Amino acid sequence: MNAYLTGIGVIFSLEMRQRVRSLAWYILLGVYVVLILLVTVILALTLGAYQSRGSNEAGNAIYSTVIYFVLLLGTLVAPALSGNSINGDRDAGTLATTQVTLVTTGQLVLGKFLAAWVTALAFLAASVPFLIYAGFAGHLTVGATAVSLLVLAVELGVVAAMGVGLSGLISRPLFSIVTTYLVVAALTVGTLIAFALGGLVVQSRQTTIYTGGTDTAQYDDQGRASACNPPVTQVQTIPRYDRVWGLLVANPYVLLADAVPTSYDTSGEQPVDLFGQLKFAERSAQIAPRVQQTIDECSAGYGASQASPTPRHVIDSTTPGWAVGMLAQLVLAAEALLGAWRRLRTPAGRLSKGTRIA
Amino acid sequence: MSPSPSPGVVVDSVARSFGSVHAVRDASLEAPAGQVTALIGPNGSGKTTLLLMLASLLRPDAGTISIAGFDPVTQTEEVRARLGWMPDVLGSWNVLTVRSALETTGRLYRMTAAQSSRRASELIELVGLGPIADQPARVLSRGQKQKLSLARALVHDPEVLLLDEPASGLDPVARNDLQLLIRDLAARGTTVLISSHVLAELDEIADRAVYLEAGVTASADRVAAAQGTERPWRIRARDLPGLGGALVAAGVHPDDIRTDRDELIVPVAGEDAAAELLTRLVRAGVAISTFAPALGDLEHTFQGLARDTHRPTGSTR
Repeated sequence: MNAYLTGIGVIFSLEMRQRVRSLAWYILLGVYVVLILLVTVILALTLGAYQSRGSNEAGNAIYSTVIYFVLLLGTLVAPALSGNSINGDRDAGTLATTQVTLVTTGQLVLGKFLAAWVTALAFLAASVPFLIYAGFAGHLTVGATAVSLLVLAVELGVVAAMGVGLSGLISRPLFSIVTTYLVVAALTVGTLIAFALGGLVVQSRQTTIYTGGTDTAQYDDQGRASACNPPVTQVQTIPRYDRVWGLLVANPYVLLADAVPTSYDTSGEQPVDLFGQLKFAERSAQIAPRVQQTIDECSAGYGASQASPTPRHVIDSTTPGWAVGMLAQLVLAAEALLGAWRRLRTPAGRLSKGTRIA
Repeated sequence: MSPSPSPGVVVDSVARSFGSVHAVRDASLEAPAGQVTALIGPNGSGKTTLLLMLASLLRPDAGTISIAGFDPVTQTEEVRARLGWMPDVLGSWNVLTVRSALETTGRLYRMTAAQSSRRASELIELVGLGPIADQPARVLSRGQKQKLSLARALVHDPEVLLLDEPASGLDPVARNDLQLLIRDLAARGTTVLISSHVLAELDEIADRAVYLEAGVTASADRVAAAQGTERPWRIRARDLPGLGGALVAAGVHPDDIRTDRDELIVPVAGEDAAAELLTRLVRAGVAISTFAPALGDLEHTFQGLARDTHRPTGSTR
């Protein structure tokens, strides 16, 4: 086992020196730090103005925004850094000379994956000072901090694994990088589109029995009408997002929000950060609409049918789906790495068209 | 020294195709330990595919391969520990220096950091990359990359060395150094299989040759037949008209004599005929300064085989 790890280590360090430690990469990291600095300063100045003394809302908002920013930039940069790690070596003529040594295919793929992951994590590391600042300003709980950082690290790992895996499965570096970007896009934007369309496809008929006030009716302070028309039955189709909400948890941003324990404001009902707001939106989608509803403005009043539970109530009463979403992503990432491993095994049997082995 | 000599490389009826392209159809060869065996064939004859199979990177569709007594398909690790491969594609880790590239290769062969470092220094000395040992590989010239590639193939002191076009891009001095190095390795018991299409250069270094054409290795019979065909000889004398007269008198048909600057070229069938012709010319009193085959042995055989294959066979569909 020790020898196996040494092999991974040699590939890892080779990869880091060969691919990553270049001037362009440091410049990219520098630009990234400046961007985060700007975001943090602007948020601190603007949100700080709204915040009452002693409250921690601004800090929470900054923290969640910076985390999302790291996730955004990390998933944008990681495909470019990992998406050609195997086929790029083949193009440079260094893959086959590595394969004829005693390093195994598993060590090769894992070493490259680790290097790609650590590279992406460097972006997280560069944003740590800002996260610490926001964390202190927002009096963040250890749990929220740890979970958000952990989920972020895993998400970057998933993208790195997809990049390395696809670079082994696809011969041309350009295509594998583009495909990795498309996978990231499918997870971030595609899941949202699928969710929206899915909700429209799976529709239900909603029957509403509506008893409304007459034109001349008077309404009291409860919203009750003094005189009502006869009940009217209305039938309409409504999207059933509660049947497709599972698509949302494959989304990295939603998944992250869903996983982080929510902080509430002083009223104890409203989430204070982006995580909580997104989580509320996602959890709300789980609630099935009423297929049969009765609105009676005379006996119950208008307001009764409109009353909705608070965000806290919604969040507490619905299912956390992030673990399933993350599991699905991990399976996808492992599948990509496994595919690359199968494709790289030597002596090679079947070769895909146009593949040059050396 | 091991008690029993290493079996080197044995290839038996190996075939490999890529879809409908039959790159290697039927290759059989033996490369004994301690000798330099040349693998000769025109472009696209399957040399590189065959070497990739020997290097344990490609699985043969049929036939068996033995590298130092091990099968690359089933005993890949044993083969790789004993095999050095210098590919025809010059790939190098561009950012790494020559020294760290060799050290990394040593580490990939499971050597310790100290062993790799020591071996890298030895090899830099051996192939003559000392002055640029700490330069990144991307600044190397083609010939220097070639040397680095050779050094990399030698990192683990392999028993079997596969060299794919090792001398392309080398200057005459470096080429000579390479030949000395390869001869030295062979003298120490290494099995060397070297492919090239620069036949003159293989002539000087190879102990034996294997001819590969259209994926098939030529049989011993065909090689012997090709070697026995007529080949041009180059004869130089101060008195060219006198030499021409003497040649005709010795029985050479005047139409067969070609003039190439200050030399005459005549076809001669084999070594014995050449010796006889030289004797006659000397007896006729012609002052001869050069009398040599215009083609090297390998090239002559190669061309003979190529002519043989390209001759229409008469079979039609």
